[in-house]
Amino acid sequence: MNINRAALKENMTGYLFIAPQFILFLLFLVYPIFEGARLSLYKINYQKETFVGFDNYIKLFSDPVFVKSTINTIIFVVFIVALTVLFGIFVASAVFDKNAKYVSFIRGSYYIPVMVSMVVMSMIWGFLLNPANGLIPFVTREMGLPAVNFLGNKDLVLPVIIFVTFATNVGQAIILYIAAMIGVPKDLFEAAEIDGASRMQVIRQILIPSVKPMTVYITIINIIAVLKIFVVIQLLTGGGPNNASTTLMYFLYNNAFKYNQLGIASAVGVIMFTITLLLSIPQLRSVLKND
Amino acid sequence: MFGRKDKIKKEPFDIASNIFVTFFAVLSLFPLYWLFTSSLKNSSDVVKMPPDWFPKTITLSNYIEVFNSQPALRWTYNSLVVSLVSTVALIVVSCLAAYAFSKLKFKGKNVLFIIFISSLMVPKEVVIVPLFRIIQDLGMVNTLNGMIWPNVATAFGVFLLKGFFDSIPDSLRESAKMDGASELKVLYQIMLPIVKPGIGALFILNFVQVWNDYLWQLVVGQQNEVKTLMVGVATLMQDLNPNFAYKMAGATVAAIPMLIIFVLFQNYFTRGLSMGAVKE
Repeated sequence: MNINRAALKENMTGYLFIAPQFILFLLFLVYPIFEGARLSLYKINYQKETFVGFDNYIKLFSDPVFVKSTINTIIFVVFIVALTVLFGIFVASAVFDKNAKYVSFIRGSYYIPVMVSMVVMSMIWGFLLNPANGLIPFVTREMGLPAVNFLGNKDLVLPVIIFVTFATNVGQAIILYIAAMIGVPKDLFEAAEIDGASRMQVIRQILIPSVKPMTVYITIINIIAVLKIFVVIQLLTGGGPNNASTTLMYFLYNNAFKYNQLGIASAVGVIMFTITLLLSIPQLRSVLKND
Repeated sequence: MFGRKDKIKKEPFDIASNIFVTFFAVLSLFPLYWLFTSSLKNSSDVVKMPPDWFPKTITLSNYIEVFNSQPALRWTYNSLVVSLVSTVALIVVSCLAAYAFSKLKFKGKNVLFIIFISSLMVPKEVVIVPLFRIIQDLGMVNTLNGMIWPNVATAFGVFLLKGFFDSIPDSLRESAKMDGASELKVLYQIMLPIVKPGIGALFILNFVQVWNDYLWQLVVGQQNEVKTLMVGVATLMQDLNPNFAYKMAGATVAAIPMLIIFVLFQNYFTRGLSMGAVKE
């Protein structure tokens, strides 16, 4: 009886302690997930909701702007994530065994653009790339290259956004890789050195395999971050020219807050949610394994 | 062994890569240099081609214009309140929850933890439509509260802090309980001082994250007066004012607080980011 009481009390304490966090979690995340799934099956006109089954999803896949948004998002994810991982490994493997001041300078220089945010960086790049009075078009003209409108040309706009996003966010991957590489046991290198391995071989055969869990982590968080790419699109191109640079998040936002197509927007949300959940499985496994 | 350095040996490849890495490190700071110097130029110098690589005459008029023609102080205040309240609230609720998940025994603990932590990577943007409707129903559109509370639903705090609580031996709690301390007292007086580094890292990371967040704040704060700094400054981009120096001054105002935080807390970022990453 007494033991039961104590157990009950401990149970109650546990629930009380997690309650504030869980109420917010249920209200602002779990409930919206289910509500979003429900809304995606409805046609919503202000207060009036009509059940339409999977119509919103069917409409989506026959909408060329949605198809374009999906393709662009995939292109962004593939290129930005690949560039981020490769450049992150390259920078970190070059500097991780150098003196602390130098490492901290490199880390800082690449991380500062992350700190000042995509909003500010997009504004600067918008100015730098401005066809009328931007520095970059001026430089390309001076170099004798034909005048190009970097953000107004449908073939150039994707590479430009890939570059801007990559250049702004790679600092995070660099910080993480440097930390991971500093943590690789030194005796591994020494053994390889005694065997006469070159630095390139050490990096490829010891360093990169040793930081593989970090590569998985960086890949996943960057895929998810690029999946919801929005700021740079809204501030640099507005999805243009002629929807050439629209993305899933931008499409969702426009449908929800400009065209008042809440059912359609919810369907896009459900698709994006499913993708993020699937992507996070490997990471979750490693978190839960540790417990 | 004398003179043995814990380094891989120097090679031309290594030297070349470091020159390359340093060059790009400096280059990646150039846009910010251009931002600051442009914001100090007058409206004609800023678009002059060829440009002045260093501003010839320095003027603060763009900053004055930003603060006069826009409620930029109000935006800064809004950003500060949203970031600070979100972060402090997250620390309080996630300390309680992380402590419970780590040290207390209750039915369904593991299942609840798995459900909760599964949401770790799900960004709130994917549920923005239903989330916005909830905020509407709560009457929180155009309020800072509407921007704040959805941020506190994240599992990130528990994820980061639980590891710190796990590393504290149970005996510490048990002996305090033996002396009659309540659970809250144990958490507050014994555990918190030990998990302080984790709380510090969580504070910095989350503060910056919320400060730089954009989409949710854009959607909730539609009136000019309730905009946050990021959202407000971004509207300058669409502003009819053709003066680029004015826009760049706005962007600089948005950038400066984060630069200061970075300079002051660089080590927290390095450690905090890695804490949030994989544990071997």
